[in-house]
Amino acid sequence: MPTDAKLENPAWKIHSSSEDFFYGFLRRAQNPDGGWGYRPGYQSSAEPTAWSILALREKEAADGQTLASASDWLRRTQRAEGAWPTSSGKDPGCWTTALSCLAILKLATSPDDAITRGLQWLCASWPAEGNLLWRLRQRWLRKSEEIVRQDHSLRGWSWTPDTASWVEPTCYALILLQNVPEESCPAEARKRVTLGEKMLYDRVCPGGGWNAGNPLVYGVPGVPRIAPTVWALLALRNHRDRAANVESLEWLERNCENIQGPGSLALAQLCLRVYGRPAKPAESRLDDLCQNNQFLQSIPVAAWALLAASGVPDWLEGPPQARGKL
Amino acid sequence: MSYSNARLVPSFNRPPSRVAIRAVPDYQADVEAVLWETLQEFQLPVRDKTVLIKPNFVEPDIQGMINTHPIVIRAAREAFLRLGAKSVTIAEGPGHERDTEGILEVLRLRDYVGPLDRAFVDLNTDEVTEVPTRTQASRLKALFLPKTVVGADFVVSMPKMKTHHWVGVTLSLKNMFGIVPGNCYGWPKNVLHWAGISKSILDINSTVRPDFAIVDGIVGMEGNGPIQGTPKASGVLVAGDDPVAVDATCARIMGLAPERIDYLKRAALLLGNMQEEKIEQLGEDILSARTPFEILPAFRQLRASAPQGARN
Repeated sequence: MPTDAKLENPAWKIHSSSEDFFYGFLRRAQNPDGGWGYRPGYQSSAEPTAWSILALREKEAADGQTLASASDWLRRTQRAEGAWPTSSGKDPGCWTTALSCLAILKLATSPDDAITRGLQWLCASWPAEGNLLWRLRQRWLRKSEEIVRQDHSLRGWSWTPDTASWVEPTCYALILLQNVPEESCPAEARKRVTLGEKMLYDRVCPGGGWNAGNPLVYGVPGVPRIAPTVWALLALRNHRDRAANVESLEWLERNCENIQGPGSLALAQLCLRVYGRPAKPAESRLDDLCQNNQFLQSIPVAAWALLAASGVPDWLEGPPQARGKL
Repeated sequence: MSYSNARLVPSFNRPPSRVAIRAVPDYQADVEAVLWETLQEFQLPVRDKTVLIKPNFVEPDIQGMINTHPIVIRAAREAFLRLGAKSVTIAEGPGHERDTEGILEVLRLRDYVGPLDRAFVDLNTDEVTEVPTRTQASRLKALFLPKTVVGADFVVSMPKMKTHHWVGVTLSLKNMFGIVPGNCYGWPKNVLHWAGISKSILDINSTVRPDFAIVDGIVGMEGNGPIQGTPKASGVLVAGDDPVAVDATCARIMGLAPERIDYLKRAALLLGNMQEEKIEQLGEDILSARTPFEILPAFRQLRASAPQGARN
């Protein structure tokens, strides 16, 4: 049990705001090697390190050394082929690669070698479903299509190589590619963005919102979830007038009141702010939810909460640089 | 067990297993007393041991039919502590919902077991260690597994009794999918699906053998499970020290033939007993507990013919 590793008594009340609290929490949770684990004291890992960088750089007070050592840790842990490993420290992940690239990119003046290699790996990493051979095999076996109704030719990104496309890793990759200057993108980037966006629209749940990526199973509409809906809306924010975006945003607004987890609440607040929608001040609710279970000491949740409290980050500002056409 | 101590024993050489079926009409009943009495019967070697309870938490659910009920979890936790366990940790890594805390809050789990930052570990974000799979039925030769699970002395699988739209039913063996961490494999843990669900179930359960299983069948789910089905009140808790035998018994209660469920058939070869004659039944008998579940047409072939005198 890792209880000895966590930060005891987060002492909410001594902080003037939850923003200050999460800022201090993340600063204190940084490992001596420069990275962050999923919880304080855990071994550093790419995803929590990337989220911490993206959150802390929103705070002007974040000192350069904190971010520089974090960026160095990410650079040191990049695999030879360009990907970043999952928490295994060994196997590559599409989502860890997209988030690590984005974090380094936002600290660098321009895409450097690490980012270029990461982008190349990501754009060359196709999910396992949807190629012609796979579709013929599925049709022959009469599998999959009877169960889930979706267009398997529309491929986004998988969580890990050699598996299927899912909503969240596709969103992270799209957001990254939207932030890379056109001239620094691999040749396949435009095609991947177009396919990825189409895949997200193909996976929207009837009535709006997204779940992990199966909107219809055995003909029954899937139930949307907060986090995938937020990330899909953020990745598709340059199509904000499309019916699916409007419907999904309305679903998110309707369901904000019922959110019971601090991570989901923080992400919902961030999304509503990016879309310029009035969001009820959530700080007190976020405080309450965080106090309930000490947000399970989750570094990603702390980073999302800090992002939600800090305004709109520049990597989600304005219409992204269009790379594909729907 | 838990991690890799238990031997893989071919079915012909295996002693009989014991499974208890306890009638519990609803969650207002004295679940704690029922479980305490049941666990005592099994004389479990948990004194001074670290016990890990692995419930089935999938997503926030106000109807209470998706996730293992917190009353059952509290009852099990209290019973293991009374039996002398050094610690009892509740641990789960939901399959496709990253907001584990949101699920726990809707369940109100902290009202039953106290502050969750101490009682609960999110297996999706735990530290991991690489473990070779013991059966290697799937293409997965090794898995990264949470240190909290691998380090536990005694693992208890505590699922909900549900149908499942990919494999027919989800019970104590399928429940162990939740120990595979999202921080290595994503949300969902799609690697397991691509490696073959039935084969992956065998590999996970041969590598981290649950020492005990308690199935919450007080209210389960039928139809399009494990998320979008409808509530089904079976009014039973099913428990035993052989998860294969427990799942086979649950399948019979659900009106299904365990030998037609692919992963159970595989598990019965090396992990436990599926045949009725090799399972000593304690408490209620299967016939009186039998409450056939509605299943999707795709799984009609799993339906068992009704025994004489049974409800159909």
